Amino acid sequence: MIDTTYALGALGAMAAVTFGLRALPFLAARFLQSHPLVQRLGRFLPLAIMTLLLLHTLVGSARDNPSGPWAELAAVATVIVLQGWRRQALLSILTGTALYVLMRNY
Amino acid sequence: MQPPPTTPVQTPAPQPRHLSALVLSVPVAMGYIPLGTAFGFLFVQAGAPWWLAVVASSIVFAGAAQFMMVPMLAAGLPLATIALATLVVNLRHIFYGLSLLHKLPAQPWARWYLVFALTDETYSVLTTLPADTPARQMVAVALLNQGWWLLGTLLGAVIGAQAQVGWVGLDFALAALFAVLAVEQWRSAHSTAPLWVAVVSYGVALTVLPQQALLVAIGLCVLTALALPKTKPAPQNHNVSGHPASAAKDRA
Repeated sequence: MIDTTYALGALGAMAAVTFGLRALPFLAARFLQSHPLVQRLGRFLPLAIMTLLLLHTLVGSARDNPSGPWAELAAVATVIVLQGWRRQALLSILTGTALYVLMRNY
Repeated sequence: MQPPPTTPVQTPAPQPRHLSALVLSVPVAMGYIPLGTAFGFLFVQAGAPWWLAVVASSIVFAGAAQFMMVPMLAAGLPLATIALATLVVNLRHIFYGLSLLHKLPAQPWARWYLVFALTDETYSVLTTLPADTPARQMVAVALLNQGWWLLGTLLGAVIGAQAQVGWVGLDFALAALFAVLAVEQWRSAHSTAPLWVAVVSYGVALTVLPQQALLVAIGLCVLTALALPKTKPAPQNHNVSGHPASAAKDRA
């Protein structure tokens, strides 16, 4: 059971951090716009961070899986191929997840 | 999730460029309702009361961070750790605002609600709207999007409160979501260097400090991005805010 007070505290902190990040460009617009390093990060980081998040969740899933990382690799390859081919996010996510759940449970 | 439909769907109105907010938010609904359902379901299954899932989707409203917090809250991690993880996961949102600086309405309530609601998907819809889009329509799109997310969350929370599902692996939906977003980022990226730098950084971080691999890897990526020799100057890169085409990496 998750303690409610603790969870509300965490949600409050998460809400503040998220809003702060979304608001930052509007508060510090002049600095961010004029700074070439910030622009360089803005071009570089989105793909890098998304790749990292993907790797990190995959490694996390694979650690919980006693029979090795093959199910994770097969499922994520399916998602990537489907998304590259059809560009239907929902289709890619549902197919990959269903495949993974099947491989882990049966 | 998908680009909004570009063909005006039976609009007898004089300005066919202005699609209704509902039409614009339909593709987002296709993604948000099932994903929100997955979030509500996983959160309640992890031991949270249903209303807490609704509170999360109301005040945090950040898909990846909400998924990420489920195992963290279940493990009882310190608030500072959760806040830091949120910072890392949502860091990319800083760069969204840069391309919308002059596009968001000036009225405070509309402006700040849109800033609050600037998820990956809302951002991608807003960047595709014509410059003269009225504030009311932008707010309506964002409100509808959050409405779909809340609807999904509520559905999932109610199902999760009743079902005892023995399946493992449903949380793979999150990895799949990241894979989809990475593919879309890759499609619109200037180069694939960020991808390879990220892979190497994560490998290094996992070897050096496996407990904090994500954080270390992000640090390495930031340092590499700053240290890399200036890549071939993209034609529009002197101006981030004025060129949606360069800064608005359409994603999702």
